[in-house]
Amino acid sequence: MKNVSAAGQTISRMWNWRITAACTLILILVMGAAVSFGPIHISFQQVLRTLLDLPSGEHGENRTVILQLRLPRVVLGALVGAALATSGAVYQTVFHNPLADPYLLGAASGAGLGATIALTSTHHNIASLLPVFAFLGGVLAVLTSFFISGKFFAEPNTLLLSGIAVGSFATAIQTYLQQRHSDALRPVYSWILGDLTSASWSVVSWSAIYIGIALAILFSVSKQLDGLMLSDEEAFSLGINPQRLRIFAVGAATLATATAVSASGLIGFVGIVVPHLVRGITRRVTNRSLVSVALVGASFLVLADLGARTLLSPAELPIGVITAFVGAPFFLFVLRSRRKANF
Amino acid sequence: MSRIKSHARKWAAVESVCALALLALPLTFAPTPAQAATPQRIISLSPSATEILFAIGAGRQVIAVDDDSDYPANAPHSSLSSFTPNVEAIAALHPDLVVLQSSATKAAAVETGLKKLKINVYLENTPNDITGAYAEYTDLGALTGHPSRTKVLIATMKSQIGSILSRVKHSTSLSIYHELDNTLYTATSNTFIGRVYKDFGFTNIADAADTADSGGYPQLTSEYVVAANPSVIFLDDGAYGESAASVAARPGWSGLSAVTNKHVIVLPQDIADRWGPRLVDLYKFIASSTANLAGSK
Repeated sequence: MKNVSAAGQTISRMWNWRITAACTLILILVMGAAVSFGPIHISFQQVLRTLLDLPSGEHGENRTVILQLRLPRVVLGALVGAALATSGAVYQTVFHNPLADPYLLGAASGAGLGATIALTSTHHNIASLLPVFAFLGGVLAVLTSFFISGKFFAEPNTLLLSGIAVGSFATAIQTYLQQRHSDALRPVYSWILGDLTSASWSVVSWSAIYIGIALAILFSVSKQLDGLMLSDEEAFSLGINPQRLRIFAVGAATLATATAVSASGLIGFVGIVVPHLVRGITRRVTNRSLVSVALVGASFLVLADLGARTLLSPAELPIGVITAFVGAPFFLFVLRSRRKANF
Repeated sequence: MSRIKSHARKWAAVESVCALALLALPLTFAPTPAQAATPQRIISLSPSATEILFAIGAGRQVIAVDDDSDYPANAPHSSLSSFTPNVEAIAALHPDLVVLQSSATKAAAVETGLKKLKINVYLENTPNDITGAYAEYTDLGALTGHPSRTKVLIATMKSQIGSILSRVKHSTSLSIYHELDNTLYTATSNTFIGRVYKDFGFTNIADAADTADSGGYPQLTSEYVVAANPSVIFLDDGAYGESAASVAARPGWSGLSAVTNKHVIVLPQDIADRWGPRLVDLYKFIASSTANLAGSK
């Protein structure tokens, strides 16, 4: 079943298990490499034995390093990467906008405001609730954007604009708070750049639950999402309720994004680069390869975090710096080669 | 098409199984009791703590200090970061005590990580006054097994600072402005450095600009500084290129009495920003650089 898109590219609409299998293999390899690298030298075989819980594996300190420090960080990176990449792909479809990213409707600024409120609070209890504040901030900002735009998706552009306005408003308050509390400047800044240093099994477990639910929903509606590429009338004729589907999809994508942001701060560029990359390489409609997008997003972020904790070792580099530094030129390269192919 | 749907379902199932398997992993861990012996492999990730540890006689127990700890010269300097500490890089040196600044990036997460590796952590809060600094000295003295030498150090510092202050002619008519950076962030008398100036009896121009949410570090406007017309300007941003000349060149500042009387003083930043035993040197520096002024009033 082959189709020719408006851009003149040949795109397949069929699921291709080979691509998904390849992406899974890459993710496993990347995660294995990420668990094996660090300032403490532990060989790959030993890491593997420890992960498989063999008696010949590491014990004592090295075991703690592998299972309590590296592994939760790698798993969290994979979860966050998958969440951001999948949400990005879904937002791009829903809004018919190749520049849409998971932070489009104010999720990032809202979460940033929530996090800053928690960090600048004088009550220690509130500071420890940072993920909750960030999560609520992100969800509230998106809900506000919806509320202001009136009829859901009646006019996608109104929704986009209200998202931008809500985002700017939240950023204004956040910047004010951050300037007034210069002592909190550093933690706020490092949170905004995003990092996975606070990864622990408890963070991994709650984010796995929310991100898992959100991704399961998105994967299950991925077939219908393609219908949103058509006009609403055509979608209706295929038995799709576009309005309901959009709300459903954006809701799930927002859940995934808000969870990712509250676990790891604002990590940019994954949500834009990865869907386009997968689309470019697989030449497939994004939603048909949503699982591959999630897998590649996970690999991308795990690799970026490996760079974040090894490049400047023994110091840490914010992961957002890496995703943008590596992601932007690579993205431009892909864009340019696609432009050549199209014109 | 139904094949596709079943694939998606399978994927969701695989993912939830993976998530469950990962959740089960940490349960295979059993904690062991922490050791209580005197630490012999200390890592200091704070320039102030490094100076304190060496002054109380715990220097020989220190195996590494962070990249900002530049005093004393014989401290075991390393490339470990005090601002963005990396748990594994610290653990690689097998320390038995780590002094960590609470202001470090993700300090709580770093502390948790180190404790998982059964490494003791002393979380150092930035003190608000010299009493808070002495409290840290006492803590570190007790932790490292040098309590008596710490007591002697504190007593010596108190008497030295006391004698410096007793020789200064106190004058509240002297107003000062302590500059943190060239966007005019400053420190009020409710901060550590502000209390040092207060000990000298100076009036701090920042106090009137303090607001409830500035945390003792308000940002002034150029107009405010000109109107307040401080007698002495202390520059804590000399390392960032500010000097008496650059201050004089600022629009409207050339007529300030601190500028015309040449009382724009660049502070030795490493001493002014730390609370180690070289605080005595800071008191000496301020006393000597304002000696003529205080006398003339």
